[in-house]
Amino acid sequence: MKNTRTSSALVALAAVAVLGLAACSGSGGKQEEEKASGGNNAAVADTPRVKIAMITHEAPGDTFWDLIRKGAEAAAAKDNVELIYSNDPQAPKQASLIQTAIDSDVDAIATTLSNPDALGPVVQKAVEAGIPVVEFNAGVDSWEDTGALMYFGQDETVAGQAVGERLNEEGAKNAMCVIQEQGQVQLEARCAGVEETFSGKTQKLYVNGRDMPSVGSNIEAKLAQDKTIDRVVTLGAPFALAAVQSVEGAGSSAQVVTFDTNADLVAAIEAGDVQWAIDQQPYLQGYEAIDSLWLYLTNGNIIGGGEAVLTGPSFIDQENIDTVAEYAKRGTR
Amino acid sequence: MTSELADAPLEEIPTGVPLVQLKDVGKQYGHIIALHGINLKVGKGEVTCVLGDNGAGKSTLIKIVAGRHQHDEGQLLVDGQEVRLSSPREALNHGIATVYQDLAVVPLMPVWRNFFLGSEMVDGFWPFRKLSIDQMRTTAKDELHKMGIDLPDIDAPIGTLSGGQRQCVAIARAVFFGARVLILDEPTAALGVKQSGVVLRYISASAKSGLGVIFITHNPHHAYMVGNHFVLLNRGRMTLDCKYEDITLDQLTTEMAGGDELQTLTHELKR
Amino acid sequence: MSESPVATETPLADERVTKTSPLQKLLLRPELGALVGAIGIYVFFFAVADPFRSLDAFSTIMYSSSTIGIMAVGVALLMIGGEFDLSAGVAVTTSALTASLFSYEFSTNVWVGIFVALAVALAIGFFNGYLVMKTKIPSFLITLGTFLMLQGANLAVTKLLTGQVASRNISDMDGFGLADAIFASDFSIAGTTFRISIVWWLVFVAIATWLLLRTKVGNWIYAVGGDAESARAVGVPVVKTKIGLFMGVGFLAWFAGMHLLFTFNSVQSGEGVGNEFIFIIAAVIGGCLLTGGYGTAIGAAIGAFIYGMTEKGIVYAGWNPDWVKFFLGVMLLLATVTNLWVRNRASRS
Repeated sequence: MKNTRTSSALVALAAVAVLGLAACSGSGGKQEEEKASGGNNAAVADTPRVKIAMITHEAPGDTFWDLIRKGAEAAAAKDNVELIYSNDPQAPKQASLIQTAIDSDVDAIATTLSNPDALGPVVQKAVEAGIPVVEFNAGVDSWEDTGALMYFGQDETVAGQAVGERLNEEGAKNAMCVIQEQGQVQLEARCAGVEETFSGKTQKLYVNGRDMPSVGSNIEAKLAQDKTIDRVVTLGAPFALAAVQSVEGAGSSAQVVTFDTNADLVAAIEAGDVQWAIDQQPYLQGYEAIDSLWLYLTNGNIIGGGEAVLTGPSFIDQENIDTVAEYAKRGTR
Repeated sequence: MTSELADAPLEEIPTGVPLVQLKDVGKQYGHIIALHGINLKVGKGEVTCVLGDNGAGKSTLIKIVAGRHQHDEGQLLVDGQEVRLSSPREALNHGIATVYQDLAVVPLMPVWRNFFLGSEMVDGFWPFRKLSIDQMRTTAKDELHKMGIDLPDIDAPIGTLSGGQRQCVAIARAVFFGARVLILDEPTAALGVKQSGVVLRYISASAKSGLGVIFITHNPHHAYMVGNHFVLLNRGRMTLDCKYEDITLDQLTTEMAGGDELQTLTHELKR
Repeated sequence: MSESPVATETPLADERVTKTSPLQKLLLRPELGALVGAIGIYVFFFAVADPFRSLDAFSTIMYSSSTIGIMAVGVALLMIGGEFDLSAGVAVTTSALTASLFSYEFSTNVWVGIFVALAVALAIGFFNGYLVMKTKIPSFLITLGTFLMLQGANLAVTKLLTGQVASRNISDMDGFGLADAIFASDFSIAGTTFRISIVWWLVFVAIATWLLLRTKVGNWIYAVGGDAESARAVGVPVVKTKIGLFMGVGFLAWFAGMHLLFTFNSVQSGEGVGNEFIFIIAAVIGGCLLTGGYGTAIGAAIGAFIYGMTEKGIVYAGWNPDWVKFFLGVMLLLATVTNLWVRNRASRS
């Protein structure tokens, strides 16, 4: 709607402003981060280099998966593993990614079993082809049927139940479970778990996780609609932070609790804005998935004795936040 | 007035020099020769009719004079000076205005907005420069009225007007913005008998008021009613070039229909 | 071509005889249908949902509408100009990420990042517009390409720089306070808190309306959307106008991005996907033609309001959340049909 002269004027204006403001920020920013962070160089194993494919149902841009990948990368670096990571939130596409891994002759596969019906057959194909498979994060109920060696993760329903029990202890009456992606099995299982054990009222609210302002205003609207809500349970750290603003905006006295963590969330727990988080230790899931495969490939070890290895749930609240905070700032919790 | 075209002094042009003249103009699209060896001129108060069947090269000829395409051969002279028109805007600056078959109007926009489209009247200073809406509406209404077009609602979308009315609005617009040469592309092609009459009357009136008109048509009857010169195109070449005095309507019609070919056809279809 | 019953060939006829009545003129406004739909939906939720009636609820709805509406203004203008921009949703995220990542990575004042983001947003708009005009490929395809490119770049660049998929928290950096006040602050009227983005939204709608109806450029926008060839033939700078429109969307994407950034202090790189359609929906509900050349900025604002009102109204009504999307679809369809019905009635009478 502007002519070229106007737009070039805008660019010029921006340039002038940049020059004028080029003074560095006195606080925050990368400089401060670099001052604070130390290195963590570990020795690399002297075992032969192996190629492991990791396939997940990560939706692009979800902070939770950062931690899984960081764990996997840390293990890969230490174990002399070439890690090939790929992901697709749609089950059929994830299945074809696993097939691609089989075709490219990897030494082992680590995958999430987000949809057992869609992924089971292709995992079995990998097993039949002699490729050891480890599953993690999703699929706690059906991982054995697919022929996988080991499973690392938490049972979403169990985690939800743990949340419900904790809410009972706290004497909560009315909890709202905020689901950021309608129809996602794991998220629904978490809310269902909460509903099972929580003796108060549990209600669901679906929000569009791709649109933060709309997440915030929908939570705000729900809090206005039902003023008796005293707990907001979010299923991801970024949504808990949005919920904190909504609770404030709605003038509600509800407390915010959440599944999963990230650095900002740890700070919010420290500040008391978020009461607690239930943690499934995604870093550990990623790390163990790769590390256990390396152990299996180099030494034939199997962890868990045929049972799923549970990485959660554990609670992070103000009492134990100090031990986690340091790692969270480093981006590994 | 915002248009610099209106100020172009007509008097300065020496009499006898054609407003627009084409000398041996040719145009190729790749390997296809669209036009070759075209000679044509139009003077003040004259109507030059360009006749021809579909695909004869009429559109290409218009596009060259209107500045939409450039010629490959020959010369294009405006007021005796050789020019190359690189855009419709440049042609307009020379006082050459084109009224296309599709009229170059935007159907959903009101008549007055269409009238001033591309040459809007504005006042105020940037960034608060705004349209002089009242002035534009009044001017458009008056100008159309002068041409004998009376519209009940100047705010009506131009798409709701009849074909003849739209044609006249387009011509009135060109005249108002200081056109000295009007190129009319098949203005009567889509019109009924009565509406064609209205348009032909304007063409005649425009010429009498001192404009040069290039009238593109495939209807020899319409051409003969208003034309001073006749140029016939066939397959990109000129097959006829004569004055009103030197030809009758029957001859023109026969030439237009392809002369001998028509006789063969008449013979064939004889009942 | 239609023969209008009111038009006359006879010169010197009395022009007042068949003049359109002012009422009919009002009914023919593009946004009227949307307005009727909006009132209908408002009355409906007012009747069925208690919490909907409060001023607080109105504030929440207006806020929600503003986050869509700011972009819908630019998208509506672009649609009137005859083009689409499917990259509009993720461009918002790109702007927010650019400002955040730039100022964080280089430890600059956040305003440096803000202006870099503005330059990037305008450049994206220019790129879209330039490609559409030079290649003559429909904007639907070109901007689908940019949409995917930006979606990928958002994620990849964020990961490359921060090692995670969200930008770092910048709330402790210099210049944050002022930026927060401009892009994401609150104010109170009669005890109710309103977000500043509502004000900005209304300001942008007013500017766009003025631009469309009262300026030369507005005339050109309608013309290039209505018939680009005709517009070119009478000397309208079609290419500049259209590129300008794409850059206008870029500018608003920058603004919406700044709101996103300073509201939440950090940005998820996967955000914004899918919003491009909501902007288009808002514009269409508001009376913009998908084919271009027709529509208003006010209409798009009403469209955004209908979307925000419906989305929140369902929550206020406390309906079964599993059905939310379904109800949303029904409401939007009803609003669109009402719009069409009103317009047809108006033009027939």
